[in-house]
This record gives sequence, structure tokens and C-alpha cells, in this order.
Amino acid sequence: MNCPDCKDKLDRFVDRELTTTEMLEIQLHLEGCPECMDNYEFQTQLKRLVKHSCDCDTAPPEFREKLRQLLS
Amino acid sequence: MAESPAQTTFAEEALGHLDTLYRGALRLTRDPDQAQDLVQEAYLRALRYQHSYQPGTNMKAWLFAIMRNLFWDRFKGSRKEDVSLDDAGDFLLYEKLRDEGARPEADVLDKLAASEVVSAVEKLPPLHREVVLLVDVEGFSYKDAAETLGVPIGTVMSRLHRARQQLQKSLYDYALESGIVRGSNSQVANQ
Repeated sequence: MNCPDCKDKLDRFVDRELTTTEMLEIQLHLEGCPECMDNYEFQTQLKRLVKHSCDCDTAPPEFREKLRQLLS
Repeated sequence: MAESPAQTTFAEEALGHLDTLYRGALRLTRDPDQAQDLVQEAYLRALRYQHSYQPGTNMKAWLFAIMRNLFWDRFKGSRKEDVSLDDAGDFLLYEKLRDEGARPEADVLDKLAASEVVSAVEKLPPLHREVVLLVDVEGFSYKDAAETLGVPIGTVMSRLHRARQQLQKSLYDYALESGIVRGSNSQVANQ
């Protein structure tokens, strides 16, 4: 595992979409490469920021009730 | 007309995913009234076609697929450049900020307002926006996202990658405009 390989697989690592073996390979690389580790932590925090910024909206209660009546 | 127990169960389970659908619709339409119209239409369609839903499978993905298909029916006729992103090459906010002497997380991410992040997501073309919504906001796996969108997993991955590149570029532009960072070869703005 080198830095370009790590960068190539970083999206899938952040999204937990690699095989167990690949996850371990990246993890090992990150532990020995501060630059890739910093990038990984940045990408993870960015993903978290997107989630927290976008998932605070909830359906208005009156809309929920309207749908409940429509569906019954 | 009184509902059957099966219909009640279906409706209750479906309504359990309302917030996910509403958020998705809100981000896709960028308008609360249109979002409610879209979600309501999606639920009515889901009720009509509930026989095609297999109990025990991913209802959230099934409902989201109905909703986004309705959205795209309305979107038909749009120019490709309005709905997709060309490959503009890699833009890594992390590298850009680090090269400019910033501490990318502490100096920039921590200072971005949620509203700016939402705005950056909403600026993404819909084809890319919906992948970010499914994977990053709602936590779908690539496989579930691919099934929901009716595309191969590779397409999910490439759209997600481009979306994240564009998102980082938008956030960088905002950080520049708002003075959080000061552009090329300069330090982060003094606090």
C-alpha cells in the first residue's frame, strides 16, 4: 500500500465499503503515514459535517398527520 | 372506507421513513411546498403499488426510489449540463488548504455554518446531489444506493466522488468569500 493507492481507496474506506483485508491494509498505511491520516480525518469530518448539516430537517407534524389520514 | 390491518401496518411502516423522504425531497426540490407535494405523491403511489413491495426488504430504499423517480419525471427535458457534472479533475480541499498554510479541520471545517453546507449540497446537480443524500446523509450502502437509483455500483462511486469534489470546491469558494481563508499562498485569516 502506498499513498496513491490509499488516496484511490479513501472514499470507499471512509464509507466502509472495502473488504476486511483492504480496510486493514489502509488502516496500517494510515498508522504509518501522518499525511494520509490527516487527509482521512479531514474527509471523515467533512462527511460528518454534510450529514449533520442536512439531516436536521424533519417533516412538519401537520404534514405527517395529513399523510397519516391520507394513507388510512 | 375503513382500512385493512395489512394496510395500516404498511402505512405505519412507510410513515416511519417520512423524515428521510421529506429531507430528500427538500434537498432535491429546494422548496418546502414542492417537497411536500412530491412526498405526498410518492406515498400515494407507494400505497397504490404496495403489492410490489416485498415485506422484509428495504422499505426506505423502495420509498426513496419512488420519490426520486417522480422527481425525475418532473425534471424531464432538462439539459444534461443542468443535471450532471463534467469531470473537472481532482479538487481536494484538504490539500488546497494545507498548501495555503491552514489547518484544514480546525481552521475551516469547524467554521463552516450548516446553512452553507446545505447550500453547497443543493448547488450540486441533481444526479450527484441524490447520491450524496443517500450515502452521506442517510447512510445507504453503495449497493442500496445503486438499487435505489437503478444504476451500477461503479456509477454510484463515480458520481459520489465527483459530487464530493464539487462540494469541496464550493465550500472552498465560500471560505474564500467569507474570509475564513485568504486564497493562494496566504495564511488563514486572523481571528
